[in-house]
Amino acid sequence: MKNEETDSFEGLSRRDFLRLASLGSGMVFLGGCGDIRELWQRQPVIAVDSWHKGVCRFCGTGCGMQIGLHEGKVVDVRGDKYAHNRGRLCIKGVMNRDILYAPDRALYPMIRNNGKLVTASWDDAMSLVAERFKDAIETYGSDSVGYFGSGQLFTEESYTASKLFKAGIRTNNVDGNPRLCMASPAYAYTGIFGLDEPMGCYDDMDHANCFLITGSNTAECHPILWERIQDRIRSRPETPIIVVDPRHTRTARDADLHLQIIPGTDVALYNSLMYEVVRRGAADEEMLAKFVTFKQGDENKDFEAFREHLSNYSPEKVAAVCGISAESIREAAYLFISSGATMTIWTMGLNQQVQGVASNQLIIALHLLTGNIGRPGATCFSLTGQPNAGGGVRDTGALSHSLPNGRKILVPEHRREMEKLWNVPEGTIKPTPGYHAVEMFKAMESGELKCALIMATNPGQSMPNTTRYRAAMEKAFLVVADAFHPTNTTIFADVVLPTSMWAEKGGVFSNSERRYHHVPKLVEAPGEARSDLNILVDFADRLGLGHILPARTPEAVWEEWRNISQYSYYNFKGITYERMKKERGLLWPCPTEDHPGTCRRYVPGEDPMAKGNDRLDFYGRPDGRAIIFIHNQQGPPEPPTDDYPFILTTGRVLEHWHTDTITGRLEELERVPVDFVEVHPADAQRLNLRQDMPVMVRSNRGGDVFRVRIVEKTREGMLFTTFHSMKRIINHATTDAYDPISKQPAYKYCAVAIEPVSTTKPAADEVS
Amino acid sequence: MKFLKFEQSKRTVFLLILLLINAVPAFCYPEEQGVSAAELLREIAIVVTIIAIAVLIVVEFFLKNKIARGSYKWALFLGLFMLPVIAMVGSTTTLMHETTTVESCASCHIMEPFVNDLRNEESPTLAARHFKNKWIAENQCYHCHTSYGIHGTAEAKRDGFRHWLMYVTDTWPEPITFKGSYPNQNCTTCHGSTKKFQTVNSHIALREKLMNNEVSCSSCHGPAHPTPLERGNPIQPVEPSDNQEDELVWHQHDVENSYEVYNYVKTLGTEKILGIEQTSSVSP
Repeated sequence: MKNEETDSFEGLSRRDFLRLASLGSGMVFLGGCGDIRELWQRQPVIAVDSWHKGVCRFCGTGCGMQIGLHEGKVVDVRGDKYAHNRGRLCIKGVMNRDILYAPDRALYPMIRNNGKLVTASWDDAMSLVAERFKDAIETYGSDSVGYFGSGQLFTEESYTASKLFKAGIRTNNVDGNPRLCMASPAYAYTGIFGLDEPMGCYDDMDHANCFLITGSNTAECHPILWERIQDRIRSRPETPIIVVDPRHTRTARDADLHLQIIPGTDVALYNSLMYEVVRRGAADEEMLAKFVTFKQGDENKDFEAFREHLSNYSPEKVAAVCGISAESIREAAYLFISSGATMTIWTMGLNQQVQGVASNQLIIALHLLTGNIGRPGATCFSLTGQPNAGGGVRDTGALSHSLPNGRKILVPEHRREMEKLWNVPEGTIKPTPGYHAVEMFKAMESGELKCALIMATNPGQSMPNTTRYRAAMEKAFLVVADAFHPTNTTIFADVVLPTSMWAEKGGVFSNSERRYHHVPKLVEAPGEARSDLNILVDFADRLGLGHILPARTPEAVWEEWRNISQYSYYNFKGITYERMKKERGLLWPCPTEDHPGTCRRYVPGEDPMAKGNDRLDFYGRPDGRAIIFIHNQQGPPEPPTDDYPFILTTGRVLEHWHTDTITGRLEELERVPVDFVEVHPADAQRLNLRQDMPVMVRSNRGGDVFRVRIVEKTREGMLFTTFHSMKRIINHATTDAYDPISKQPAYKYCAVAIEPVSTTKPAADEVS
Repeated sequence: MKFLKFEQSKRTVFLLILLLINAVPAFCYPEEQGVSAAELLREIAIVVTIIAIAVLIVVEFFLKNKIARGSYKWALFLGLFMLPVIAMVGSTTTLMHETTTVESCASCHIMEPFVNDLRNEESPTLAARHFKNKWIAENQCYHCHTSYGIHGTAEAKRDGFRHWLMYVTDTWPEPITFKGSYPNQNCTTCHGSTKKFQTVNSHIALREKLMNNEVSCSSCHGPAHPTPLERGNPIQPVEPSDNQEDELVWHQHDVENSYEVYNYVKTLGTEKILGIEQTSSVSP
């Protein structure tokens, strides 16, 4: 007994102790090695039952993704390695896995009763909507109702809405947020080529020898395309990037040459670049001889007149206008000319100006003049901000001035064609354009527009001069269909209709490069939410216009739509649902089902619509020649004054999207602040502003409170803030002045004052 | 063979001297500055193996009846146990070391597209950038595919062995993909502590998800290697495999399409060339 006691250690014999200790350490080691299944295959952290091909819900890049389901829910997404994004997603793309389950999803229809929104049945809500629309149409005529849509609806939905209103209700009051976003390039392309949408594609980024990025913070707003541009730089480090931006953005940070111009002086700068092109003798003789003509407004001009016009824009003169050096203009022009293949990329910085169309057209003119067009890497390319503004709204003609496939309301033949294709009596489509975005809200204000259907957009936050148009929205009978409630628009609604979104419904999106691709329906919508298409069809039936919409499922609508496209240069008859379900989308034109799609438009041999075997064929124009428009720099719409001495410009951050209806509700993204205002250190010092101090940013229209962020990103005398915040609405301050041609508001320029506020004042219409 | 009859202490000294002599060749490369432990052990293993075999043959066939029973046992102990143990330690270390090299990974043909991409100066993939910029000095494959600590090494060796097994038995699915969730720690070990990493808002927002590997670094910064389409030859489309379904939805049509595009562009080219020839022959 005694011996045993001395040999044992706390009740264990030495041998047992050693045995257990070695067993334990072995188990610890094996345990650390993880799952036993990993012996034959590594296991993912998130368990997924099945993977499905889809497209991201957010920006116009349109990244392909694999959507992972587990027990009927979306649990994971991954970039699709077979899509153009090469498997990459940005943080917003990654967050697609959570958006369907974010808080505040709209679950049941709601009707305003004694000033409060109360839950109602679909039947009650839709009956009320139909009744009010019918009353308005009977009493005040069909133009007393309108539709305000979105570049976030599927093509099938925007097409159906446009058809219902234009051919059914007989009003052209069909517009939407693409007017706030891509109207200027749409008009610019149409003016120059006779057809909308860019001629290049993402593939050009892999071949460009020089990038001119203007009015675009690509690194933050289209991060995956920025990575593709970076890939080009990584492969060919001598490729320069020229950035034109009043702000030293993340994109500008990585540029070789940053032209930090004064906001709103783009027209002068591009004229000056063309001045340099002509001075250096770098104008493409063949282009001038065969493929371009010149115009100023409606007046025909020639190259001599154009050269004469450019003589006013020497770099020395323009340097003073733009607030940059003449050398930098010359250098930029030289890099552009000498590369052999330059790609220009732009977006809202150009579009959201009173000279939006002019800026767009001059950039395209720069490419036409230098022959940087229709070759790999040589193209001018506008980026879209929404997942389906191009195909859904611009191509379907879901705007107040347009009809499907580039047709125009004002052209009688176009109306006749569409009436025939839509199988409605001749004269059904009204000959005058309807209200564009700003006018539509003004019509609500004046009481001319009695009822409006707003789908998948948030004008209560995204319209410029929001204070005014929020009041206008209260006057009209407002039906808002959205996947979330409350938003800054649903709070003004008389009826809120809950909608499904993204993978809760199926449909077609289109990205910046004319790629039509499919999002499958994978999961059920929460509560009683329905798809927007479903709502539109129900609405048509209740108005007695069901016969206008014979196609009632996404597949059927697409079938109708692709067949209609064959009668135009947009021909994508070959893009069937079956193909889209198999492939990673296709670029139109694509006339037949065995056609692989078109990367570069207007290039004979590549574009099935182009004729002949010359270098280019601008078939959208009767003479086959694109137009170089002559534009002169104008003064700003609202120059700074003593009372409002700062120029305000708005933009985005990478982690958030648009009015934050979705991204503002995701816990992870809430960590990234959006309600800040960037102030130049010199201005901050002069006004005695400190970091993180609450300040009121205010124009003569209104303003809101933001937190000061002192950074050397903006120019002195310039402020920058995002338009994301749901609580701090910068659009109270922005101007509703718009481009006279495209009617796109000039968000990028307004005069404001900035003043400290003692305590953080609650926002006027805080979403509760 | 008198030395076999030496005293035990003398035998020990002899063994030590023998071992030291083994190490001599390792120092015989004047152009190399020093030598790594792994290389030293490889040399030792080779020499010791040869000696062990020689000792066994000589003792068993020539000296068995000439020497004392005790010496015989000692000689067998040396040949059958001592020297093989040394050889095994040396060869295992050598194997472990050798399999960390890029060359070792490249020795399987299936890895060629990856290693070619790695060494391609113009490739923008993460792997190629880490390689060409010398962000990782050596053993680049192993560096990123092995987690830190003993478990990481064990896992990497386990996976490597499995891959080798699949390769030699010709049972791998094409296109090969990374299974499971890539451990972000492999990236953050180097990058995580840098200010550049920590001040990125997206990293702050996704902190937990990145730590738990629910989101891979390569989601945004990838692809780490060429994608299956970039690896594949459009003329010989790679065949999809059933095993791929749990990783990615495979669409054979996609590859067929790229093949079609390839052919289509080719036909276009010919037509265009023909067209030009025709016009040029007509025009003066």
